[in-house]
Amino acid sequence: MDGNSRKALQGVRVIELGPYVALPLTGRILASLGAEVIKVETNKVLDEMAFIPAWSRGAGQPDFQRIKKRVSIDVRTPSGLEVFRELVKVSDVFMTNFRRNILDRWGIDFPAVRELRPDIILMWQTGLGGIGPYYTYKSYGILVQHMGGVSLMTGVDGEPPSAINTSYSDYHTGVFQLSAIIGALMRRRMTGEPATMESSIFKSGAVTAGPAILDYQVNGRLPERIANRDALAAPHGAYQCQGQDRWCAIAVQNDEQWAGLRRALGNPEWSGQPEFATREGRLANQDRLDQLIGEWTAKLSADDVMARLQAEGVPASIVSQGDDLYASEHLKARDFYRPSPSYVAERGTPAWEWESRDSLAWSAPARLSETPMEFGHYSNVGEDNDYVFREILGMPESEIESLMESGALY
Amino acid sequence: MPLQTPEDGRLLPPYRVLDLSGPEAVFCGKLLADYGADVVRVEPPGGHSSRLRAPFAGDQLGAERSLYFLFYNTNKRSITLDLESEKGVDLFRRLIAQSDVVLESHPVGYMDSIGLGYDSLRAINPAIVMASVTPFGQTGPWKDYKSSDLIALAASGFMQITGEPDGPPMRQGNEQSHYPGAQFAAASILAALYHRDFGGGEGQHIDVSLQEALITYYTDAHPALAWEMLGENVTRVGATSTLVIPLGAYPSADGWISAGIITPREWDTLADWIYEVTGNEEVLNDAYRGGNQDRAPFNDIITALVIDFTTRYTSEYLFHEGQRRNLVFIPVNTVSDLLADPQLEASNFWFGLEHPETGILQYPIGVFDSEEVSPATNPAPMVGQDNDAIYRGELGLSADDLAALESEGVI
Repeated sequence: MDGNSRKALQGVRVIELGPYVALPLTGRILASLGAEVIKVETNKVLDEMAFIPAWSRGAGQPDFQRIKKRVSIDVRTPSGLEVFRELVKVSDVFMTNFRRNILDRWGIDFPAVRELRPDIILMWQTGLGGIGPYYTYKSYGILVQHMGGVSLMTGVDGEPPSAINTSYSDYHTGVFQLSAIIGALMRRRMTGEPATMESSIFKSGAVTAGPAILDYQVNGRLPERIANRDALAAPHGAYQCQGQDRWCAIAVQNDEQWAGLRRALGNPEWSGQPEFATREGRLANQDRLDQLIGEWTAKLSADDVMARLQAEGVPASIVSQGDDLYASEHLKARDFYRPSPSYVAERGTPAWEWESRDSLAWSAPARLSETPMEFGHYSNVGEDNDYVFREILGMPESEIESLMESGALY
Repeated sequence: MPLQTPEDGRLLPPYRVLDLSGPEAVFCGKLLADYGADVVRVEPPGGHSSRLRAPFAGDQLGAERSLYFLFYNTNKRSITLDLESEKGVDLFRRLIAQSDVVLESHPVGYMDSIGLGYDSLRAINPAIVMASVTPFGQTGPWKDYKSSDLIALAASGFMQITGEPDGPPMRQGNEQSHYPGAQFAAASILAALYHRDFGGGEGQHIDVSLQEALITYYTDAHPALAWEMLGENVTRVGATSTLVIPLGAYPSADGWISAGIITPREWDTLADWIYEVTGNEEVLNDAYRGGNQDRAPFNDIITALVIDFTTRYTSEYLFHEGQRRNLVFIPVNTVSDLLADPQLEASNFWFGLEHPETGILQYPIGVFDSEEVSPATNPAPMVGQDNDAIYRGELGLSADDLAALESEGVI
């Protein structure tokens, strides 16, 4: 607890069933807003996100799984399913990202869930869509990001699509789900009616393709890929600075900022040339401008370039790397990253055997003055079994023990 | 204000949102409006500057022809008001008394400077929820720094992981920096309203930093944690991966196709298919079989084998035939592909909105699919189209008052 008793979503109980990014992100924010989010999973099949092998296992785990009540139930067993069904009866929201044929097989398809709890709000997260021609299609989020249209607005014309080293459309899905669920809770409070909603990673990315969708329909124009440049502003780009892979981004949007940039450079003679005096002139002479500014930035550190330009009112920022964010005085002042324990995931072993380690997690992507997002506690898989089975469901100790032994609550 | 229920089929009740946002938060207002909120854009007389943003319908400049404005202001209404005049501020205060939300993205301190900071608004209406979406948030040493889409992408580190490994950090297309903050703002506003209306709470102020929202949007790469654990910085990998081989975007006969081989069985299936098509026995080499890390030493030759195969087919063929073989090939779409996609067509994604200047255009506003709820379907408003309804209908001004305010340049 953060010593904060004011919670925006106090009294709302959510069941989260499913791995990866989008769904756990929705659950994480609902939980930090005060909902009681019960994450149902089993030690028999653990979330692949816990095993990301590159540099330390479980990137995202301390961020995504905080504050939730984590309970181990194997819904594929008859007794596990029975416990799950009891949980549904006392919950307000059920959200999952398993495919429909799998949910059908388990007996927790949406009609079955709605029968148990007629006013429950259902959020079904899919990759490509739950109905329509692709509904059986297999997909991976890191690839589905290319379906949304943004990849072909990024990078340089003719070159391969310039992906980001993550899957932005997964995150969009997670946050679209968040506002849709809160909206549906409000609507239910006012009308008594529940809602069944289906999201998709494909759609969530495509929503952000933006005005280019209209431009194509009206003007027949497809988006161009102009790298870091901008149709309306110059100079505009990432400029290399001293050091290994160090860059500072600069975006001059108007004449006032151009004057600021000239001051920051010490008003060199070339900067007074008339062709640079107007926005149109700067746009027409970007190659030369980029070269001249690049000669200046190459002699300085990225931090120095940023500080000198910001001091003159010019939009500029270092291209932040991990160490910059970790040490950022600005993010520290806002208490953005906080220490958090997490666990080193080991394949083939139940989560309770994993070793604890120090880690860190982001605190909140938005600050609410009266009901601040809670940072809370990081639970491991099954850590909240007692609370959920005894306190919420009122199961007797003997039953819990026998179901743990049988593997239903493993 | 008594709580109103949602109109038929809408997710949200018609909460009154006064939308003062620039590009940093314009999508937030749109999302709330599409969901059913009564979002009113408060524009300076003559119209908000975003009405002059390209592209334009028929490439003709005009306050009602900006496709940027049309896209990001669906389902909103519009009034004009000069917030830098005394009378304008007075009128705004009167509107505050009967509104639920103020959404703004001005530089930190600007709202205070015109007498409309959160404390002033709360004094008028304690139930008001104010959301401020800014590049670096309301506090901290960078709060007053100048920014833009490019600068937010840089400051958050999003650019650091976008682009080719041997090229510069790359800006992601269509001002992606403006989405995460707007998304979190929308969810936070709804949570605050839920608390106010169903949890016995009052209004509050919401502070969203684009930088923080963007960092949250790549938690799986987690640059700060990677630095802490390994002393290494996460960087760019292009469209490929060092963890999964092959994974990437490859040329096809008519564009680009992305593909990823995650399981050993998927590789066996793909190798057989490539052999079937190319007759090249190299692809069947046992050394390439196994989990995706087992192919790491052979990345270059495997990429060449894959490209020799993908360039023989269209993206659409590889997408569907891949699924038939239980392989994931995903087309790299551009906007024309989206408009022609049968899946989007079948899932209530597009809604045709009719605007006087453009006729009917398809807008992607079906964020989620539901039998019970669907988005509102009004086009973006004309400048000040709701002045009469709001100033006369709600605030009770007379036609003469309105004419006077107009001649003084207040509305």
